Amino acid sequence: MTPHPIARWCLAAVLAGAAPLAVLAQDAGEHNPADLEKAFPKKAPYSPYAGRNYPTRPLFGDTHLHTAFSMDAGTFGARLTPADAFRFAAGAEVTSSSGQPVKLSRPLDFLVVADHSDGFGFFPLVVSGAPAVMSDPQGKKWHDMIAAGQGADAALDIIRNFAAGKMPKAIFPVPGTATYRDAWQKAIQAAEGANEPGRFTAFIGYEWTSNVGGGGNNLHRNVVFRDDASKASQVEPYTTIKPLGSDDPVELWKWMAAFEQKTGGDVLAIAHNGNLSNGLMFPTVETFAGGKVDRPYAEERSKWERLYEVTQTKGTGEAHPFLSPNDEFADFELWDKANLDGTQVKTKEMLQFEYARQALKNGLILEQKLGVNPYKFGMVGSTDSHNGLAAVEEENFFGKTAPQEPSAERLAKAFFVDPKTGVKVMDWEVGASGYAAVWATENTREAIFDAMERRETYATTGSRMAVRFFGGWDFEAKDAHDRMPARVGYVKGVPMGGDLAKAPAGKAPSFLVAALKDPIGANLDRIQVVKGWLDAKGEVHEQVYDVAWSGGRKPDPKTGKVPSVGSSVDVANATWTNTIGAPELIAVWKDPAFDPAQRAFYYARVIEIPTPRWTAYDVKYFGNKPEPGTRMTITERAYTSPIWYTPN
Amino acid sequence: MRALLREPLVHFLALGALLFLFFEWRGGAAGPGSTRIVVTPGLVQHLASGFARTWQRPPTREELKGLVDEHVKEEIATREAAAMGLDRDDTVIRRRLRQKLEFLVEDEAAPAPPTEADLRGWLERHPQAFQAEPRTALRQVFVSVQRRGAAAGAEAQRLLGRLRTAGPGASIAELGDPSMLPAELPLGPVSEVARTFGPDFAQGVAAAPTGQWSGPVTSSYGLHLVLVTERVTPPLPALADVRQLVEREVLAERRKAQIEALYTRLLGKYTVTIEMPEEQPQPASSSPGAGAR
Repeated sequence: MTPHPIARWCLAAVLAGAAPLAVLAQDAGEHNPADLEKAFPKKAPYSPYAGRNYPTRPLFGDTHLHTAFSMDAGTFGARLTPADAFRFAAGAEVTSSSGQPVKLSRPLDFLVVADHSDGFGFFPLVVSGAPAVMSDPQGKKWHDMIAAGQGADAALDIIRNFAAGKMPKAIFPVPGTATYRDAWQKAIQAAEGANEPGRFTAFIGYEWTSNVGGGGNNLHRNVVFRDDASKASQVEPYTTIKPLGSDDPVELWKWMAAFEQKTGGDVLAIAHNGNLSNGLMFPTVETFAGGKVDRPYAEERSKWERLYEVTQTKGTGEAHPFLSPNDEFADFELWDKANLDGTQVKTKEMLQFEYARQALKNGLILEQKLGVNPYKFGMVGSTDSHNGLAAVEEENFFGKTAPQEPSAERLAKAFFVDPKTGVKVMDWEVGASGYAAVWATENTREAIFDAMERRETYATTGSRMAVRFFGGWDFEAKDAHDRMPARVGYVKGVPMGGDLAKAPAGKAPSFLVAALKDPIGANLDRIQVVKGWLDAKGEVHEQVYDVAWSGGRKPDPKTGKVPSVGSSVDVANATWTNTIGAPELIAVWKDPAFDPAQRAFYYARVIEIPTPRWTAYDVKYFGNKPEPGTRMTITERAYTSPIWYTPN
Repeated sequence: MRALLREPLVHFLALGALLFLFFEWRGGAAGPGSTRIVVTPGLVQHLASGFARTWQRPPTREELKGLVDEHVKEEIATREAAAMGLDRDDTVIRRRLRQKLEFLVEDEAAPAPPTEADLRGWLERHPQAFQAEPRTALRQVFVSVQRRGAAAGAEAQRLLGRLRTAGPGASIAELGDPSMLPAELPLGPVSEVARTFGPDFAQGVAAAPTGQWSGPVTSSYGLHLVLVTERVTPPLPALADVRQLVEREVLAERRKAQIEALYTRLLGKYTVTIEMPEEQPQPASSSPGAGAR
């Protein structure tokens, strides 16, 4: 049983700047009924397409995928290149690193290949036996080991050397060297070659992989370019290794600003895995580097980090049962034992600085104090897979790394073990999650990027359900019966990621929320609205409301909670039936406890009926026996970006 | 005789004879099996330029000597290993040799560019490979099984009757049950239909007539009455538009055929006997080549 300490050394990345945000901070409070009538006439125009300038279908993609160009991915056997990764995401069948044919059930709409900026392209260099590598004794040794079929030993040796800071300088690619530039150019060219506006969007990007506090506290960010090669080629990714790079996000933001200034380009950064940061992802007083969480920090962070990756293979970080004891759905695909490499055990005090919901709440406190909310982020999910395959459907899960691709052994292997701390994470705990859904007006780099900046996005744990969420002051019950809910939504309110202000006297915000199941997926159990708010005493609270659900279930009169939908899963055969749940749910919900003087946010969470988890498909296919405690079912879900209410 | 003098084969043989005489005069061939190793100025230059490519500077005297020594050692090792037959059972070497042989043949395929007629013929024989995806536009009226249960089927039939009476121009804005599903899909690739409504619905639409309400078609959401308003099967693209793609395919095919021909030719020189283990079924034919493909 070989642990793969992939996380032990993640690499850093580079990059650049998010654009100034033209966010749709609409003020829904100023509508009056006469205006509404005009904007939303009773009779639609004859042409059903006229006036439809809003997005009509969510685009699904992955903002965080690694290929053989990532040092850790390559050492553990990933052989697929960025070009392969784009082909696969666009729907082509490819042969995986372990030699298995694989294809997605349907193409994705977009992909960001985000290889680690530290050591960018190192592994293909070693495998190909480039002259520079072969003339270095260490490089030649590794090449020969891999050529002789001892790739795993080579990987461990490379990792030991990297961890000890002993990578041979002559061959380790750092920005400014020819090998580094070459690899970055290859990555850019792969995206340029795969980008097909209108059909499939291939973004240029990279991951800046900051690990602090001795190496395992995860502060990673993915940097995404709105631009093409002409601008991205003018820079090389930002790394974490001094003096060229830094492990402090504040420095990354400076790099992003410099990129935008130099090229007129546009970049954004998406942080992930706060759950593995051991209390460092969402600071409220001081950053790990000793910087203050003050107004400039809040301004920069909210400018560059418009989205947060809330679910991926290494756990889901929306909520934690310790922080949200009344949320019976909070205990979902958690990774809360330690930091990224298991070198530091988790304590309960760290959790409040790691999970998205708590960060959104703390953001309200900070906004009150600083005037700017550093944690005003939207939600996306992504894979963080390290084998070039954005394959996170439960029945088609190709693992996080090449050794985790389907095999009879993967259910029994450890992802990593730290003998000192005793922390052990099994491969079965890796989640088949997630995707980013974006309400973009068209499938292009520009439109998707702009939708990300206005946070009109939601995260899914791998399902492709369509979710709408609008907030305003005038939604009424009958809007839920409208045949074009999106049109009503945009006319009367703001979409997910937007803002509400200037509450009309006596009115509470109302929300139009709708969800349509994945066309080939499971029915829906319920839609919930999660509210967080800051009270007059300066304390934050949260409440989860069930707002739409399937069947005639009656909410518990005391708690208001809707009882469980039940389960139709047959674990042994890895099947389920859509005999429970609903294919579509829609509701208008009005906040029953609104106080116009209090800051608040609202987001929707959509939950599917239980389905077999990837582990069940494994057992069915390989006929092996899962370890005791292995989870065999899952309730896939979607988390929308919040809508914020800010008092005048 | 004049024709003979122009024959390349004659040039080749004459050149070979001269080389043979030359090496005889120099004292023994320098090829594999001989004990003579000659490092020519050209080779030294080649080694030095390889070094310079990597290090962006020429090698020093010391380094150059090291490169030459390495080369001599490699040459000796290769000859000795070959003499001992070490290359014979080595899968990597065998594959590499096979690859080199096949490359030689493939190269022969490249120089003659395919003619216009070759390309046109290929395009006509393989239209699917170059055709754009068919496009479909449709309207649909949704009947929710979730809402109506067993009565959904009857409701769908009732609506179908109304729609057929009203015809393709029927106003559907207020018909059927409300849903987030689009009531109309503008002309787009057929794959978009499956992406929005699922594969069952896409199959139903593929079978539906054009310009006439039909159904109900079943999807995982419920029942749908469908009107396919338009179907476009893109015409076969003109050769000029896909010339490069076609050329690539033709050349790839030619290479494959060339390699096939090579083995067919060479197999004639060999007698292949295949002895399968007892419990395995016997190959159907024992003619040469049966086991080599």
